[in-house]
Amino acid sequence: MLDQLGNGLLLGIIISVASVALSLLYGVTRIVNFAHGEIIALGAIATLFLSSPIDYRVLFLDKFSPLGLDFFLSCILAVIICGLFGGLLELILFRPLRKGNVGNIAVLVVTIGLSIFIRHLYLLFATGKVQNFPLELQRRQTYLFFDMTPRNLKVLIIGILVMILIGLLLTYTKLGKAMRAVRDSEELSSVSGINSDNIILITWISSSMLAGLAGVFQATINDVRWNMGFLILLLIFAGTVLGGIGTSFGAMVGGLIIGILVQVSVGLPFMEGHTEAKNAVALGIMIVILLFRPQGIFGQKERIS
Amino acid sequence: MNSLLVSRRVIFTIAITSFSIYLVFILNPEGALRILINLLTFAGIYGLSAIGLNVHFGWTGLLNFGHASFMGMGAYVTLLLMPHAAGREGEVTTSGLPIIIAVFFGIAAAALFGLLLGLPAIRLRGDYLAIVTIAAAEIFRLLVRDLESITGGVYGIISYTENLQKFRPEFINSLSLNYEFAPSQAWVGIIAWVSIILTLFLLKRLNSSPWGRALRAVREDEDAVRAMGKNAVWLKLQSFMLGAGIAGLSGVLLAFNYGSLETTVFVPLLTFYVWAIMILGGVGSLTGPIYGSIIFWVIISETDRLAYIFFENANGQQLAGFRFLLVGLLIMLLMIFRPSGLLGKKEELLLDVK
Repeated sequence: MLDQLGNGLLLGIIISVASVALSLLYGVTRIVNFAHGEIIALGAIATLFLSSPIDYRVLFLDKFSPLGLDFFLSCILAVIICGLFGGLLELILFRPLRKGNVGNIAVLVVTIGLSIFIRHLYLLFATGKVQNFPLELQRRQTYLFFDMTPRNLKVLIIGILVMILIGLLLTYTKLGKAMRAVRDSEELSSVSGINSDNIILITWISSSMLAGLAGVFQATINDVRWNMGFLILLLIFAGTVLGGIGTSFGAMVGGLIIGILVQVSVGLPFMEGHTEAKNAVALGIMIVILLFRPQGIFGQKERIS
Repeated sequence: MNSLLVSRRVIFTIAITSFSIYLVFILNPEGALRILINLLTFAGIYGLSAIGLNVHFGWTGLLNFGHASFMGMGAYVTLLLMPHAAGREGEVTTSGLPIIIAVFFGIAAAALFGLLLGLPAIRLRGDYLAIVTIAAAEIFRLLVRDLESITGGVYGIISYTENLQKFRPEFINSLSLNYEFAPSQAWVGIIAWVSIILTLFLLKRLNSSPWGRALRAVREDEDAVRAMGKNAVWLKLQSFMLGAGIAGLSGVLLAFNYGSLETTVFVPLLTFYVWAIMILGGVGSLTGPIYGSIIFWVIISETDRLAYIFFENANGQQLAGFRFLLVGLLIMLLMIFRPSGLLGKKEELLLDVK
């Protein structure tokens, strides 16, 4: 069971970063974004496109050749691309919907349509093949009491640093305070001189950048697939709901717990030979949590009902 | 005035449905009937499923995104109770219940699954309900795939179609010789459309009954229903069971149409297909899903031509990708520009979280 702890931490940090992003967006805009997974996949696919060697022609229908940039630079650029994409979505799709007073449920269904649309664009243009980043293979090493490759350890450390940074930004900067103000009441915050449109735009951009980062992590640790975002989306929902939707700190912890639970549950006695069902354990826990504590572990009661 | 408007929309909807069927004949000079029967069979099955979803969302305002699992529950329970072959070795089970009784148990199992899922989910607000139902559907699919000893796992179930096809009337066979279509599929299609008609009769009765009125009242104002002394939670649960049962029947028909059953049929995309059909036909409309389903399947079956314009030598994966791309776009555009679909009533649409 313990040998899975390293894997659990890695999956946990991916889900955690993505859950914070989803939770941030929900908190400020009340949108349950089913297209979140597709932004995660965009982070991975963009990195793959930017960093693969120029003569590498499997992907992208032989028509575009990859750029062959430095890997670390590619990751940063991919995250920025995701941020721009999220901002674009807000400007051309979600802001008009908000101005047109389209209800929450309708917007939720729109994000589902958007998710199906974008995901199959990836299938058409990035093919259904499983791809890997152009990185050399590394041997696992033992750190304290868990095994992972040096690269994955870096991912874990960067992930934790990003989380601390986000926590500090939300708590202490003017922007973070404004975001929380808009979350609590859009009307009251505009009365106080906060431009809620700008705050929502910034939220979309930062949420998408975090999602893109989660995608880069996921693809570095595992691989790049056209539907990788959708495969992990439900676990992200589980993490967000477990921590309490709309609370960033809760989403961090919830994501981490879900990741560890999924990987550790492989070692449970009744799971022997049923490793495929490991996601079912996490989703089942989410449903049970919702049954007894719908506001999540750290959520406040008035947010649900 | 109002009734004039409604009847005009019905005429428009029937016209556009007939036109899309006409389009199939225009675009396929050869074998149009075979294509049409294939398309209408799928349309009937998915339309039935969309009618079930409409009971959830249109009548009661429950945001159910786990519809595929109700269809799957109906299909698996029915097939496993009848003579079939399952699993890696194709283990044959020759004994089993007659089809009518097996289907009855399948529908009951789907309805019970609806109750089981509804009990915790019903107390949650709309967007939470969406997450819980889609998660529960995935749990169902993962468990079915994993419990290979019972369900056949990834190897699926085969050799069960004879249970239904042995009752196929002779006239379908003789017609199929003259017009070149698959007789077994036509038989499934006929049953699907008969089921739709029977279901619609039942729902029409229920809709105008006190029960139906109470249900719509739950959607509009739950507190008011409670104040009138009705049990709102139990009403919602009944609606969940009714819709799930209808979905279960459509799942059985889907299994008979495919001829072999695999877990990959019941992925979340199946749910989204049904959602697209329901929105297109009109949320809350009784007959809407029928038209929505026919138009939807004409679009789906003719998109391959469109795909060939964008991708020369498109392979199967690209064709499938292109179809789903259009489904996503359709859901998005409908929800933005015409959330009431062809026949839905805007004032009956629940689009805000309550």
